[in-house]
Amino acid sequence: MDPRIAIEVKNLGKVFGDIRALDEFQLQIRTGEIYGLIGPNGAGKTTALRILATLLLPTSGTATVFGLNVVDEAAEVRKHLTYLPEEAGAYKNLSGHEYLEFMTKFTIRNPAERKEVVEAAAKISGLGDRLRDKVKAYSKGMKRRLLVARTLMTRPKLAILDEPTSGLDVLHSVHVRGLIKEYVQRHGVTVLLSSHNMLEVEYLCDRVALINQGRIVAEGSPSELKTRYNAPNLEEAFAKVVSVA
Amino acid sequence: MLKGLFNIVVKEVKELVRDPKILLGMIIVPLIMFPLMGFAIQTSMEAVEETMGKLALGIMDQDHQSGVENLTAFLNALDVPTVIIEKPDLATAITYVAQSNLTGLIVVPPGFSQNLTETRKARLTVYTVFRGGGIAESSSSSVISSLLQTFEASLVTQKVSQAIPDDDPSVVLDPIEMSEQSIVGGIGVNVRPDVFFGVMMSQSTGMPIGIMMLLIFSMQLAATSVASEKEEKTLETLLTMPVSRFTILAGKLTGSILVAVVGAIAYIVGFSFYTSSLTGFMPNAGVDLAALGLAPTPLSLILLGVSLFLSLLSALALAISISIFAEDVRGAQALVGPLSIILVFPMIFTMFTNIYTLPLPLMILLLAIPFTHPMLAANAAFSGNYLTTLLGIAYVAGFTVIVLYIAARMFGTEKILTTKLKLRRFRLRRSN
Ligand SMILES: Nc1ncnc2c1ncn2[C@@H]1O[C@H](COP(=O)(O)OP(=O)(O)OP(=O)(O)O)[C@@H](O)[C@H]1O
Ligand SMILES: [Mg+2]
Repeated sequence: MDPRIAIEVKNLGKVFGDIRALDEFQLQIRTGEIYGLIGPNGAGKTTALRILATLLLPTSGTATVFGLNVVDEAAEVRKHLTYLPEEAGAYKNLSGHEYLEFMTKFTIRNPAERKEVVEAAAKISGLGDRLRDKVKAYSKGMKRRLLVARTLMTRPKLAILDEPTSGLDVLHSVHVRGLIKEYVQRHGVTVLLSSHNMLEVEYLCDRVALINQGRIVAEGSPSELKTRYNAPNLEEAFAKVVSVA
Repeated sequence: MLKGLFNIVVKEVKELVRDPKILLGMIIVPLIMFPLMGFAIQTSMEAVEETMGKLALGIMDQDHQSGVENLTAFLNALDVPTVIIEKPDLATAITYVAQSNLTGLIVVPPGFSQNLTETRKARLTVYTVFRGGGIAESSSSSVISSLLQTFEASLVTQKVSQAIPDDDPSVVLDPIEMSEQSIVGGIGVNVRPDVFFGVMMSQSTGMPIGIMMLLIFSMQLAATSVASEKEEKTLETLLTMPVSRFTILAGKLTGSILVAVVGAIAYIVGFSFYTSSLTGFMPNAGVDLAALGLAPTPLSLILLGVSLFLSLLSALALAISISIFAEDVRGAQALVGPLSIILVFPMIFTMFTNIYTLPLPLMILLLAIPFTHPMLAANAAFSGNYLTTLLGIAYVAGFTVIVLYIAARMFGTEKILTTKLKLRRFRLRRSN
């Protein structure tokens, strides 16, 4: 396998009953880059991310993560990635702190190291003392921050983030984006994310894939896409591509 | 292979135990409700005894002969105070007694003593005063009549010894002495059958009820622990953790069993509190089965434990397999609920009948239900019929492996994430 390639997706197809969620889906993501999936609702972003996170089985095609097949070597793949679902919660009767501890114990055996990681998560989430409260007392945004923190804290080789800042206020979105960038630069994390926020995508992503009806209809860096579609920003480029498609 | 199991078990137990609904239903209710019920019954029983102590009777004497004196002397000898009511008519006597603190009124009509001596029916009228004091008071009338029966018996003994002066009147009146014994498990034992039956009943009702509680609790817990992962949207994250799906399943099973055991213990403690406040008033207590050689042997207890554990596992795996189809906790509990009917079914049969004497199809149906087997094992613990217990264990083990396999498969595939959508669409189609 080529260590420069983090994710390789070939001819991926996923069918739910009579819905074709992914169709001839192709993707290659380099190690250490931030890659964004954008596209209208129902385009297949979440489906693609879930297949890569070993949650769904593809109907056809193959997908590998660091050279490991997501179907046949799922258990091995899970050791290298963390996944932030689009809609996710935390155990409501645990405290934020206990939740982080619980999640860390799967990957880190050494208690001292674990403590460090949980402290890092406390910083990422910005929850401070509120980490001692039960999750059921958290607001939606607080929960989201807790979950973002848990996906980054262990410095995984690959973080798959489905709409990471959904439900966050402006300040916290900015904070989280800054952290994602920092983790990629400082700790060599590769990030695959989906988003509806073009500002976020422009700020974060090295490359973007525009998906419509289960297919990639355009790919490139945000600036490439803007020039290609002669648009002042990504939002307009998006609108042009999707309306044409 | 089960790396990370402990972590999951700890989390499951925390989540379940901290759920206010579970805490309330499983631990607080049995530990407070049962003792409270027991306390209420005990207090009223004590009130009954107190009433007995304060028993006092009014006697309206319209006979003025020796028979009345005998009656009063008899009652006084039994520490029951009597008051002779000197009123001109019954109505005023009744009013008087009602206003006094007497328990009742005995009216002795004219000719009472004479009828007794001449062996004709002598009549008495007994009034018991009700002052609205609950159970305690309702028992006073039966106490009065049993006092009068003892008096009657003493008169009979007197008559008999007068008529047959050479014989012992108690032998004349009760010429045969019966010693009632039982044959249990092919061995004659010196215990009256009704007493033995009572003890067996309390054993064989206590057992199934305990087993059933444990099963229902843990099934509800297992269903809750799976469904709440869906409801709280934690499942997707958990399934991407580097831990095998089987370990997740095992963690959920173990966590549910642990909490259910605590719940069942709470029930047993609460319930034994409740029964111990009753046993003082119940006959048949205090028969020591162990002393009679009828106590379960260690081997039979081990077999019972194995059978119980296996059927518990299969019940939990069943509950988990079913709750995978539910969208939320409520839905899961609604799906698992009907399963408890399957639990109650064999319980009723093993409690009231020997299922091997039932019609063949019904017997096969019952034996096919895995939860019948721990109940049978509990009975076999007394009868010593190990072969059927072993066969039952083999069957339940097979059943458990299959259901666990199905549950693990469902947990391992994407079905656990996608099934709910299918159900929703199915519903839509049906309503169209
Ligand atoms: N479990 C499922 N069962 C059936 N259909 C599904 C399932 N999951 C997704 N789909 C369908 O697959 C298609 C792609 O859905 P997906 O969730 O991947 O879209 P998305 O791009 O993430 O949309 P959004 O921006 O709204 O999050 C949709 O038509 C959706 O209805
Ligand atoms: Mg989505």
